[in-house]
Amino acid sequence: MKKIDFHIHTLSTVRDSKFDFDLETLKRYAREANLDAIAITNHDIFDVGQFEQITNALDVVVFPGIEVSMECGHILVISDHCNLSDFNDKAGQVAKKVTRREDCVTIAEFEVIFGDLSKYLVIPHYEKKPAVSGDALKHISSYVSAGEVDCAKKFIRTLKDNQKLTPVLFSDVRISDKLATLPTRQTFLDCGELSLNAIKACLRDRTKVALTQSDGNELFQIFDDGQKLSTGLNVLLGDRSSGKTFTLDKIAQTHEGVKYIKQFDLVQQDNDAYERDFNNELQKDKSQFTEEYLSGFKTVLNDVMYIDLEGNDRMVEKYVSSLLKSAFEAHRKDEFSKVVLFGELEFALKENKVLINLIESVRQVIENGEFGKIIEKHIDRNSLKNLACELIELLWHREYDAKKKNHINSLIREIKQNLRLRSSAVPVEEVDLYRMIVERRKIRRFEKIVKNLQKDGIIAEESIQGFTVVAKKGPFTGAGEIKKASLSKVAFSDVFVLYERPYDYLRALVNKEGLTHSELYKFFAKISYQILNKDGFEVSGGERSEFRLLQEIKDAQNYNILLIDEPESSFDNMFLKSDVNQLIKEISQSTPVVVVTHNSTVGASIGADYIVYASKEHDGGKIKYRLYSGYPSDKSICSIDGKAISNHKTMLDSLEAGHDTYAERRLGYEAIKD
Amino acid sequence: MIRMQKGGLDMKLLKIEGDLGYYLNNEGNYSKIDTITKEDLMRLADLTLEKDVEFDENHDEGIKNPAHQIVYKSILKNLKGLENRKQEFKDEVSRLYLSDYEKYQNQSS
Repeated sequence: MKKIDFHIHTLSTVRDSKFDFDLETLKRYAREANLDAIAITNHDIFDVGQFEQITNALDVVVFPGIEVSMECGHILVISDHCNLSDFNDKAGQVAKKVTRREDCVTIAEFEVIFGDLSKYLVIPHYEKKPAVSGDALKHISSYVSAGEVDCAKKFIRTLKDNQKLTPVLFSDVRISDKLATLPTRQTFLDCGELSLNAIKACLRDRTKVALTQSDGNELFQIFDDGQKLSTGLNVLLGDRSSGKTFTLDKIAQTHEGVKYIKQFDLVQQDNDAYERDFNNELQKDKSQFTEEYLSGFKTVLNDVMYIDLEGNDRMVEKYVSSLLKSAFEAHRKDEFSKVVLFGELEFALKENKVLINLIESVRQVIENGEFGKIIEKHIDRNSLKNLACELIELLWHREYDAKKKNHINSLIREIKQNLRLRSSAVPVEEVDLYRMIVERRKIRRFEKIVKNLQKDGIIAEESIQGFTVVAKKGPFTGAGEIKKASLSKVAFSDVFVLYERPYDYLRALVNKEGLTHSELYKFFAKISYQILNKDGFEVSGGERSEFRLLQEIKDAQNYNILLIDEPESSFDNMFLKSDVNQLIKEISQSTPVVVVTHNSTVGASIGADYIVYASKEHDGGKIKYRLYSGYPSDKSICSIDGKAISNHKTMLDSLEAGHDTYAERRLGYEAIKD
Repeated sequence: MIRMQKGGLDMKLLKIEGDLGYYLNNEGNYSKIDTITKEDLMRLADLTLEKDVEFDENHDEGIKNPAHQIVYKSILKNLKGLENRKQEFKDEVSRLYLSDYEKYQNQSS
C-alpha cells in the first residue's frame, strides 16, 4: 500500500489566510506520516522554482499540481514530471485569470487551457466544499479519476456507493512552521509503482483505496502520532484522570465537524430554567413547521393587511356629498371645469393574477416528468405548448394595456389637479365601489379563517424514539403569550383587548409601533409543542433529558464524528441499554463514534467495534499518558509506542471494578435471584 | 373642426392653432383639447408607441386659453416622455415568461 497526500498548499494566495511556507515542516510531515507521494497544489498558481526546491529536499515522490478555482467548485489538476514547463505554462494561464478572490475559471476556459485533460490526474472537490456537482460534474466526468472528500465518514459513505466517484481523503494543509499538529487525512493506494498512470489506473478500481495500511477501512487515523480509531463505534475506557476527556477534547480541537456531547451537558440543574430552555429549544427546532403550517394564513393576511374599511366608508361619504354639491352648484361651471378631463374617471385596472396562475399551471403540466405518461395519455403536449404561448401572448397584451392605462391615469390625475386648482366648481370625488365591495368580502372571509385557526386542535404528531411530539393550535390566552411569540419587548396588552375581533385586532397591530408587518401572522393563533412519554403523559424532568440526549445523538448524523463523554452520569441503566445503546450503534453505522464510559451497560453491552484504553503511567519518574487500542476480540491491546496490556483485565477493571468485585457481584445476584 | 393636413412625414398628434390647443381625434380630424377623453388619450398613447408622430411645441405666445394651456402642456409632456421611452416601455412587458414562450414556440409543431 502506498500512502499519498495530493492536496498540499505551500504558497499563500488570495484564497488563503496568510502563512509562510516552511520546507522543514513539509519534510517532517512527509517523514512522520510515512508518506510515499505528495502533490503540491496551490490555489491557481504553480511555482516551478519552489516545486524543484521541494522535490530536491524530499525523499518522497512529489507531483506538480494546481487547485483551480472554477465557477462550479474547486478542481485539483496533477501532472506527471515530464513536461514540467508545459504544465507551468498552463498553470500560468490559470494564474492570469484568477488574480482576485472573486475570480474563477469557467469549464470552457479550463478545457481550452489544459487541452487533453486525460493526460492529468483530475480530482474535483466532491464531498467537500466548494464541491463540483450536478451538470458541471457530469460534463467533466470523462477525465475525472476520483473525488476528494474531507473526512473519514464521507470517505466510507462514498466508497460504499458504487454510483459515486472513488473517494480520496487529503489533508488540504497549509505548510508553515506554525502548524500545531500534523495532518491525519491521507489515502492509501494498493498500487505497485508511483507513476501518474499507475495511480490513475488504481483509482479506477474503488477496492484499491483505503484509510489505513492494514486495517482497510475499519480504522482511520485520528492523531498525528498514528493513533487510529474505528470508523464505527469506539469505547474509550480508563480510570479517573487518565486522559479520557483530554482525548475527546483533542479530537474536537483537531478535527472539523465534531459533535461533542459533554458530561452532564444534558442534566437539568434548575428545574424552571431547564424547562424554559427546553421549551424554547423545542419551539426553535419546530419553527420551520410553524412557518409551514401558517404559510397559507400568511398569504391571506398579506392580502388583507392594509384594507381599511373605515377609510373606504369615508371615501363613499365624500363621493356622495361632493356629487350632491356639484349638482347643486352646476351653474357655477367655468372654463376649467368644462374641460372633459375635469370630471373624467380613471381607467379601472384589472390584475392578471388568474392568467398568471393559469400560465404557471400549464407550464407545470408541460414540464412534469414524474406523471408524464398519464399526462400524454390524455393531452397532446404540443397543444399544451401552443396554449402556453397563446396565454403568454395574452398576458403580454394585457400587461401592455395595463401599463398604458396606468400611464394615462397618472396623466389624468395631473391634469385634473391642475384644473381644480384654478376652477371654482366643486369636483366630484373618485370612488372605486367595486374594490370596496371586494375588500369587505375579503375581510369577512379573513375573520372566519382567524376564528377557525384559533379553535383548539392538534395539527401534527410525530414519534421520536418512543416519545411523541405533538403540535397544537389554539387561541392566545393573554398579551404575555403574544409577546413571547413575538420575541420582542413590545407590550401587547393594548391590542389584546381586540383579540376577539380579528379585523379590529389586525388594524391595531398594523398601526402599532415597533412591529414588523411581515411577522404579524404569528400573533393570531398560538402554535405550541408538547412532548409526551411512552404512556402519553407530558414528559418529566428526567425524561426531558433523555429526549434531549436522543435528539443530540440523532443530530450527529449531520457531523463527521460523534463524541459522548460518560452518558451514564446522567441516565439510568435501563434507558442506556434500551434506547441510548441502540441509537449509538445505529449512528455508528454511518458516523465514527467515541463513547467514554465506566459503565458496563454502555461499555460491555453496546457491542463496540474498537476499544481504546487511556492510561496514566509513571515512566522513569515522569507521568506519561498512553492510549492502548485494539479490537474487542483481541487478547491484548497496544499503544503506538509498542506496549501491550491484557484486554480482558482492562475491561473488567474499567467496567466492573476488577475481577474480584465482578465475581462477588455475580454471586450476590445469584443469591437473591429466587 | 380642422381637417388633418396630409402630406407631412409624421402624424401630428397635438397642434396649436389660433390661440387654442387641438388633438387628433379618431376620425383623423383635430378637436379642441378641452374635449379630450381618457379613451382619446389612450389612442394617442398607442399612436405614440406604434408610429412616428410629431407635436406642436407649446411656446408662451401659443395657447392663450388657460384651460387649454393646462391640458395641452400636460399631455404634450407626457406623450413626449412616452415617445422617448418607447422601446423600454414595450420590452419590460415582453420579458414576462419570454424564455418559456420561445422554448415552447420552437418545440411545438
